[in-house]
Amino acid sequence: MSKNFLQTLFSTESVSEAPPHDMQSAGKTVPSFEDHARQEKRYTTCYMCACRCGIEVTVEDNQVRFIRGNRNHPVNKGVLCAKGNAGIMKQISPAKLRNPLMRKPGTERGAGEFVEISWDEALEMLTTRLRDIRATDPKKLAFFTGRDQMQALTGLWAQQFGTINWAAHGGFCSVNMAAAGLYSIGQSFWEFGDPDWDRAKYFMLWGVAEDHASNPIKIGIEKLKRRGGKFVAVNPVRTGYQAVADEWVPIRPGTDAMLALAMCHVLLSRDLVDWEYLGRYTNAPFLVVDTPGQAGDGLIARDEDGNPLVWDTVEESFVNGMTPGVEAGMFGDYTLPDGRKARTVMTLIAEKYLDPQYAPEKAAEICGLQAETIERLALEMAHVAFRETIEIACEWTDWAGRKHDRFIGRPVAMHAMRGISAHSNGFQTCRALHLLQVFLGTIDVPGGHRAKAPFPRHTPPPVKPARDTAPNTPLSAPPLGFPTSPEDLVVDGEGRPLRIDKAYSWEAPLANHGLMHMVITNAVNGDPYPIDTLILFMANMAWNSSMNTNSVQDMLRAKDDNGDYKLPFLVVVDAFHSETVNFADLVLPDTTYLERHDAISMLDRPISEPDSPCDSVRVPVLKPDRNVRPWQEVLVDLAGRLGFPAFVDEGGEPKYTGYTDFITRWEKAPGIGFLAGWRGTDGSKHMRGEPNPKQWEKYIENQGFYQYHLPEHMRFYRFANRDYLEWAKEVGFNPSSEPIVMELYSEVLQKFRLAGQGLYDGPLPPETVDRERLVQYFDPLPQYYVPLEEQRIDRKQYPFHAVNQRPMHMYHSWDSQNTWLRQITAQNFLFMNRARGQSMGIEDESWVWVSSHNGRVRVQVKLMEGCQEDTVWTWNAIGKQSGAWGLSEDAPESQRGFLMNHLISELLPSAHDERRLTNSDPVTGQAAWYDLCVSIEPVGADEEAGTSLPKFVAIKPLPGMPAPPLQLRYHTHEPVPLRRSFLDILKRR
Amino acid sequence: MKLGLVIDMDTCVGCHACGVACKQWNTSGTLGPLTDYQPYGAEPNGVAFNRIRSYEVGVYPNSKTVNMPMSCMHCDTAECVTVCPTGASYKREEDGIVLVDQDKCMGCNLCAWACPYGARELDEDSGTMKKCTLCVDRIYDENLPPEERQPACVLTCPTGARHFGDLEDPDSNVSRLVRDRNGQQSLPELGYNPVNHYLPPRPKPHAEVESGARSAALAERMKGWFGKAVGR
Amino acid sequence: MHPALSVIFFTVVSGAGFGLVALTAALDVLGGVPGLGAQGTLVAVFIGASLAALGLMASTLHLANPKNAWRAFFRFRTSWLSREAVFAVLFYPTVLGYLLGLWFAGSAAQSPWTAVFAVLSMLLALIIVFVTSMIYASLRTIPQWNSPLVPANYLLLSLASGAVLLSCISALAGAPVQTVGTLALLLIFLAGVSKAVYFFWIGKPQGPTINTAVGMTRGQVRLLEAGQSSDSFLDREFGYQAPASKLRRRRLAVYVLAFIMPFVLIVGLLRTDSVVLAPFAVALLLAGLFIERWLFFAEARHTVNLFYGRQQC
Ligand SMILES: Nc1nc2c(c(=O)[nH]1)N[C@H]1C(S)=C(S)[C@@H](COP(=O)(O)OP(=O)(O)OC[C@H]3O[C@@H](n4cnc5c(=O)[nH]c(N)nc54)[C@H](O)[C@@H]3O)O[C@H]1N2
Ligand SMILES: Nc1nc2c(c(=O)[nH]1)N[C@H]1C(S)=C(S)[C@@H](COP(=O)(O)OP(=O)(O)OC[C@H]3O[C@@H](n4cnc5c(=O)[nH]c(N)nc54)[C@H](O)[C@@H]3O)O[C@H]1N2
Ligand code: SF4
Ligand code: SF4
Ligand code: SF4
Ligand code: SF4
Ligand code: SF4
Ligand SMILES: [Mo]
Repeated sequence: MSKNFLQTLFSTESVSEAPPHDMQSAGKTVPSFEDHARQEKRYTTCYMCACRCGIEVTVEDNQVRFIRGNRNHPVNKGVLCAKGNAGIMKQISPAKLRNPLMRKPGTERGAGEFVEISWDEALEMLTTRLRDIRATDPKKLAFFTGRDQMQALTGLWAQQFGTINWAAHGGFCSVNMAAAGLYSIGQSFWEFGDPDWDRAKYFMLWGVAEDHASNPIKIGIEKLKRRGGKFVAVNPVRTGYQAVADEWVPIRPGTDAMLALAMCHVLLSRDLVDWEYLGRYTNAPFLVVDTPGQAGDGLIARDEDGNPLVWDTVEESFVNGMTPGVEAGMFGDYTLPDGRKARTVMTLIAEKYLDPQYAPEKAAEICGLQAETIERLALEMAHVAFRETIEIACEWTDWAGRKHDRFIGRPVAMHAMRGISAHSNGFQTCRALHLLQVFLGTIDVPGGHRAKAPFPRHTPPPVKPARDTAPNTPLSAPPLGFPTSPEDLVVDGEGRPLRIDKAYSWEAPLANHGLMHMVITNAVNGDPYPIDTLILFMANMAWNSSMNTNSVQDMLRAKDDNGDYKLPFLVVVDAFHSETVNFADLVLPDTTYLERHDAISMLDRPISEPDSPCDSVRVPVLKPDRNVRPWQEVLVDLAGRLGFPAFVDEGGEPKYTGYTDFITRWEKAPGIGFLAGWRGTDGSKHMRGEPNPKQWEKYIENQGFYQYHLPEHMRFYRFANRDYLEWAKEVGFNPSSEPIVMELYSEVLQKFRLAGQGLYDGPLPPETVDRERLVQYFDPLPQYYVPLEEQRIDRKQYPFHAVNQRPMHMYHSWDSQNTWLRQITAQNFLFMNRARGQSMGIEDESWVWVSSHNGRVRVQVKLMEGCQEDTVWTWNAIGKQSGAWGLSEDAPESQRGFLMNHLISELLPSAHDERRLTNSDPVTGQAAWYDLCVSIEPVGADEEAGTSLPKFVAIKPLPGMPAPPLQLRYHTHEPVPLRRSFLDILKRR
Repeated sequence: MKLGLVIDMDTCVGCHACGVACKQWNTSGTLGPLTDYQPYGAEPNGVAFNRIRSYEVGVYPNSKTVNMPMSCMHCDTAECVTVCPTGASYKREEDGIVLVDQDKCMGCNLCAWACPYGARELDEDSGTMKKCTLCVDRIYDENLPPEERQPACVLTCPTGARHFGDLEDPDSNVSRLVRDRNGQQSLPELGYNPVNHYLPPRPKPHAEVESGARSAALAERMKGWFGKAVGR
Repeated sequence: MHPALSVIFFTVVSGAGFGLVALTAALDVLGGVPGLGAQGTLVAVFIGASLAALGLMASTLHLANPKNAWRAFFRFRTSWLSREAVFAVLFYPTVLGYLLGLWFAGSAAQSPWTAVFAVLSMLLALIIVFVTSMIYASLRTIPQWNSPLVPANYLLLSLASGAVLLSCISALAGAPVQTVGTLALLLIFLAGVSKAVYFFWIGKPQGPTINTAVGMTRGQVRLLEAGQSSDSFLDREFGYQAPASKLRRRRLAVYVLAFIMPFVLIVGLLRTDSVVLAPFAVALLLAGLFIERWLFFAEARHTVNLFYGRQQC
């Protein structure tokens, strides 16, 4: 604890300064302002966003006096963002749900007529319904979750229920990053790895406005700049992080793969790659069968035991590529013993990327940049990687048992997020970034990109998605997993999708996180089949998390010929009055983050740091003043009522008294549960050990988190670090301690491509369109292609790319109820390049029509300098439906704000004689939010604008909801004044 | 002492954390509450001691975005105090903190007029003038651990862009920063001599390029790479 | 700056009142306001003092917390506003002494006591007008105010309006208006000129720029985000913006109403002795001065605006 505390003291300069010395005396002249006796400090985890910082909440008569960052916490080290600082205003939000609600019988869905019901009624109603579904066809329950961080629990619940129709938000969020990483390097961007902030000397940020590591990135950028490191930002817009970048690269949206691969071209053309690293830790020397047009073409050549073959240049023979020490040939064409031709992966890489097609000049055109810039940036990184190498003296053992006396570090770090992933070429683009990183030898090395536990994992982790469902039977596998060949798809004999979101179908084979954005559309179209009940938890699917908001709302209202809703029953589990709550048949009101228990588990997306696996908890710091229940509790309760095997004892009686009891006692495997800290009956064991009845107390004692410090020799090169790999197996991160080989060349993709070519002996896609997509987009080596929407629309008609950014001070839709935050942004503008706007006769703050192939919106423009000329953008999720979120009907959010979502279609523009395809990445099904292309024209001279369009009908207030106050004077105690003496007033000059 | 803030424009990303932290601390602080008007209505606004604005310098593609948080500068020559008829506004002799005694203010706004930086805001509910207190109710609180006796905005800043200290003491962290990073004052020509300073963006770090071998096309490179092997 | 009605009313009306008192007292001391005699003078001074009082009362209306107004006397050392309060308080006993003198002992010419109070009243009246103007002129945050032209304007305008008022009173009292009328013409002329100089002077921007405000002296600086989505106190108080055309029209109105028309009417009065013209002169002048004072605020650009994107103040 105190060690850890010292670290944090040094880690951030601003909080490290002790008060000036002669402050003691000055202090005598002030009264004591705070009555600490009446206050209590409690430690928990922030949930104003998904970053999960540690907070210290000072409570005064069940009211929050102050929320401060916990300086001992591994994530935020004492700092807090604007959202975290505004927790008080979320807690007193007038939009808080107060009671379970049922759509008033006889009223239409979406009319906003509700009646309050008791929890017993609500749960009884739901249990009966779910029991029938489970006893007949469990698939007919779809359970999807948004901003939650309890996917281990919800996933387990779905698995126990027996439905494959479960997923979280990853599919519309950033599955491209996760998938590209896990299929290539065994770790990834997003929340699963971090730049080595303490050692990096060069940092390149791709398409990030804020991201989940909200505070850590800010802390890190400051450290880097203080050290004099260089920070390069690749982004069409210059705000936020890009504002403090040393160099801004205003790229044209959707073209990053080209930029990254052009840099690879430069590095290859000057022989500036880390050969040691490539040869040793990646599949670069593996032999690839080269038999074009024949089955098996492009697969890794293997021996009879399935081991990858390499050419042993000493023995002059083909040997198992995993033979320690073998001098593997990096280049060359060979003829295998069986007579087939084969070439090394590296040969394919060289031929592909040294082609002039990937030259900086070519990329410059596509990305809207200067060729010189591209070349220079590549060479700057090469310099840092190869000339400013860092070495950490430390003995470690690699996977083959060889001892090394140091860790070699190549201090070039990168981070990338939705600017990359939210495009339909995002998977391949992200793979291109990883290729660049690997060329520079920067993965999991000092100064590079470092995995956070439970990563690294094998490429990909050996978990296959569940396919078969049966009444009253849990799934044999989790609903989500990592297919490695067409056999693993979740399709029926005819190749039709089995999941409601069509994840793991030919349309999105590697949809590791599902396609939440397709659920409502598919369910309402009964394609692949109709469902009965949709449970939405913590997702605002009738608004900002759906593409095509307008039509989604219509779909939720749509009825069949018998007048029944096409989506029969919608359960919304929310804490606030969102747009989606308005469409619910049943509303289950949740607590706020300050009112409940929660486990941020190693089985899920923990808060680990590169040097230390960590997990954390939330504990209630306030008593709810409403009839609400934590969803965690309700899930455990329902599991008991429905008799899920894992939740009931032999007698069929509920096994757990509630959520906290479940968290303490449930084990995934012997000794492995939700929380890794203080396990073992006496709390003496860590990471693995029997359940500890006092585990929660231990977490509370330690301010709500657990941090396991990896010994230094286990901190780097973990993909090949034997001690780490064995430990990781022991604690259940990975099923095996085999080394993790980075797959520059993806055999998995090649298998699907072969299927597309009809050359795969296994399942083949029945439809032409799927075959074509597999051939075009499943290149086993990273590739650039024009995003799908762009391919299908007329670029002259829609010349602008429309993207958006996260405001650092707001979280998606849920902060407009927070007056301290909406005072900063209650209306969003459409930002565009000043010169470009003026050339079109568009004035600052004038109104324009923005049109896409899917619709049009009327919005107000702001002209700016720091915006790429072909790009327009806005702040995400500021626009609101009138009446929602406890806001008055004339709130700017609904009168002048807007969503890009009205313009984005969940389906690609139709091409004739072809079924409608999802507007997603063809590999992962990641929603392609930023592929949007639009046209802009000023409103007509006669048109009186002043408000945004489209307008939605105002949502009615909920029963029992108090009218929002007209003025706020929040304070937890009367101010203690600091008075100036009358004498002083008279005598001071 | 001249207590004040030094704000680093090289790392400030304009995240508003300091602004909200200020609001949060001070609404229950000695000058609190900080009234919010129309909190859920058409024109949400309220009393704030610390406002963050963003600017663009130069033109595309060479424009630079800078973020500038502004609170009371606790000026040496605090005209806001000079003009105050009631003596409600004053500058503490001990530490130079400029404060408003709520019990004496008559709400004439003259001090706000006299402040070049917009640091003073009238609380239209209490009818009194309010402003940054430099968290006088935190920095001297002996019940807080020493490292927490700092302004709320400073403690919370995720980019370490805010520094609190004594700008009269040449050896203080803040004075050193001002020297080393040539900290500047806003509107120095007005002669208010603000104690708060701003650190301008650092000059671009010099990054060397590695030229490697002469750039060569596929065929030539392949020749060079022929027979290349690496030990697994 | 936001033009607050209470302040406009206060400065114009009390300005006229103090001007009237000062001028009457001066003439009284210099041998009497022609043809008015003690009673007439008393009436004039009384009207002046009342106008001043009316104005001062109005000024308290713009206090957000008037219950503390009494504290305004204590920072006499540094605050012009405090000084104004103090002098205002001194003024009333003095002018009361003067009125009593006129009532009982007759005009200044007839009684040394009256004379003494007359002189003191005159001085205090002028001082107060000066002090009021210094409240504005001392603000370095508002270049359009931070100039000796402001006290000059305030004094001349207050005297001019006083003179026109006095001419009107004299005329209505059937007294000869040659002297006061001529004096009025002279003062109107001077005030008009000094105001012209002022308008010319604020014409060319001279104040600090957004560059020094933000500390970025190389390249054009533009506001990207104000960090607030609705107006705050700062916008309400300092953000006032009027279209240039409107300002131009109002300036014209000031010249017509406050200077040209009164001038013409007074000339008419002198030529034709048609008393009716006098009240019109007063009415038009005051109307003009209201607009003049409105402009004084509307055209003032506080440095806060720089932080909201204005290039220069
Ligand atoms: N404050 C706050 N924090 C959040 C969230 C929030 O709502 N508010 N949301 C959380 C969630 S769910 C997520 S997924 C993360 C997302 O975090 P981010 O990845 O930061 O997501 P965005 O804000 O969409 O930022 C996308 C950035 O990419 C840029 N961009 C767009 N297209 C391209 C492109 O083609 N190439 C490049 N190089 N850049 C491009 C945009 O200008 C923008 O700056 O943030 C998380 N953190
Ligand atoms: N145009 C456009 N659309 C986008 C994006 C974009 O960049 N551009 N980003 C996409 C991305 S990456 C994401 S992740 C999604 C995010 O979109 P969503 O997953 O819908 O996230 P939110 O909008 O935050 O809505 C979450 C819901 O959770 C509720 N909630 C808040 N706190 C609690 C709680 O404690 N308990 C419960 N039960 N509910 C709570 C809120 O009231 C809200 O209704 O948006 C997507 N939509
Ligand atoms: S980043 Fe901000 S909102 Fe998110 S968890 Fe941390 S403090 Fe809370
Ligand atoms: S908290 Fe720090 S980074 Fe954020 S706006 Fe304030 S000073 Fe800038
Ligand atoms: S910043 Fe304004 S309020 Fe603060 S001391 Fe200076 S003049 Fe006074
Ligand atoms: S508003 Fe209050 S503090 Fe400001 S000058 Fe007037 S009396 Fe003094
Ligand atoms: S010092 Fe305190 S009062 Fe001043 S801006 Fe910072 S937080 Fe607000
Ligand atoms: Mo997301």
